[in-house]
Amino acid sequence: MSLFDKFDAAREKHEALSQQPLNPTQVTIDEVLSATLARINGRDTILAGTNNYMGVTFEPECVAAGTEALAALGTGTTGSRVANGNYAGHEALERELADFYGYPSAMVFSTGYGANLGTMAALAGTGDAIMLDGDAHASLYDGAKLSGADIFRFKHNDAASLDKRLARLGERASSTLVAIEGLYSIVGDYPNLADFAEVCTKHGAVLLVDEAHSLGVLGEHGRGLAEEQGVMDAVDFIVGTFSKSLGAVGGFCVSRHDVLKLFRYTSRPFIFTASPSPSTIATTRAALNIVRTQPERKARLWDNARRLYDAFKAQGQQVGPQASPVIAIRCKDTESAVLVWHRLIDEGVYTNLIVPPASPDGSSMIRCSLSAAHTTEQVDAIAAAVAVATAGMN
Amino acid sequence: MSDTTDTLRELLTPFLPDGADAVAATKPIADLGLESVQIMEFVVEVEDHYDIAIDLDSLANAHTLADLSAVVERLRA
Repeated sequence: MSLFDKFDAAREKHEALSQQPLNPTQVTIDEVLSATLARINGRDTILAGTNNYMGVTFEPECVAAGTEALAALGTGTTGSRVANGNYAGHEALERELADFYGYPSAMVFSTGYGANLGTMAALAGTGDAIMLDGDAHASLYDGAKLSGADIFRFKHNDAASLDKRLARLGERASSTLVAIEGLYSIVGDYPNLADFAEVCTKHGAVLLVDEAHSLGVLGEHGRGLAEEQGVMDAVDFIVGTFSKSLGAVGGFCVSRHDVLKLFRYTSRPFIFTASPSPSTIATTRAALNIVRTQPERKARLWDNARRLYDAFKAQGQQVGPQASPVIAIRCKDTESAVLVWHRLIDEGVYTNLIVPPASPDGSSMIRCSLSAAHTTEQVDAIAAAVAVATAGMN
Repeated sequence: MSDTTDTLRELLTPFLPDGADAVAATKPIADLGLESVQIMEFVVEVEDHYDIAIDLDSLANAHTLADLSAVVERLRA
């Protein structure tokens, strides 16, 4: 048995996908024309499958900040925060994030994935326990694995299911980290954080909320679900990313606990990774400032989300129970979903094809995501394309 | 055949296609054609039935109903 034999299944999948006119998992974006428009497969295509919720990727002040930092500070830091990669911009962004959330401190990581790895592996270790939502993102699973703690799962968005499992752990419940998300990225659903916080408090467990998709999207000031539901004081750690609403790449953790500052000495994914480039930090700071000062973007995003959701409902599409900037349309099977996805590309709309095992409930879906930068005409064009692409399919 | 294996087989039945044959204790669960989410839901049912919590490492080594039965019996001991 060779090490390469394990790739047989992946090779089979790759060959099947390569037979299709366009491989849905490896779409090449030839040219990006704006936050919502790109050139794909030779034609102008509306982007309805990104995570560019605030639409800041081409914002002049972000581009200017990045350009200035690039010229002034160079292309990269070439090292870790603990060695030679700790620039004033990194620390300024940490102060601004802490201030944004109203917490005492923040830590910047090089990716959102790394933020989850670094936070979970710093918090939990061998002999501890981690409870994961059944639909938790891969980065939460991987962070849990890296920690060495025993990993358990509970039913998606079900605080009672968590409560039962923490009770079964007995005294170990007080050394348990519970990890959930503020907005689940495929279907756009979210938990009742007050229920989860209550269960965690009851058992002495620590609650981490990954607000990767809810930063900028939820809460009066765009802080996420914890703000939206008024439980900022009950959540222990919030993890997030710069790669969605902030239009860059990187991640962070903020907390009301001062132990966070000690992660710098213990979190291997923080210590052993090069720090984000100066231009990335600069565009992120500019984007965070936009989220803080332009609440109208969140209003536009939600107007767009409700408009598309209502259009899908009117078409009879199988969508989730509530409007959200992420809207998944369920298809009757994988073949239908693949065909709908290709038809949408032909119609000039890029979406995300979600099939098992990536889908949360084993079904096949078309994931659409909205941006504050989508025009009403673009939203209507997405709806019209979906109507055409799904005709006779479901 | 242990009582635990029989109980696990009963808990598994709702996740199988209608009319599926009874699952042999030594048949790999991975070969049953279930989606990963269905396997997770099955495990949740097992945990609730026995009032236990099964960690993912233990599950990773439970390839068959017989293996899972051994895990359940260890956790209940």
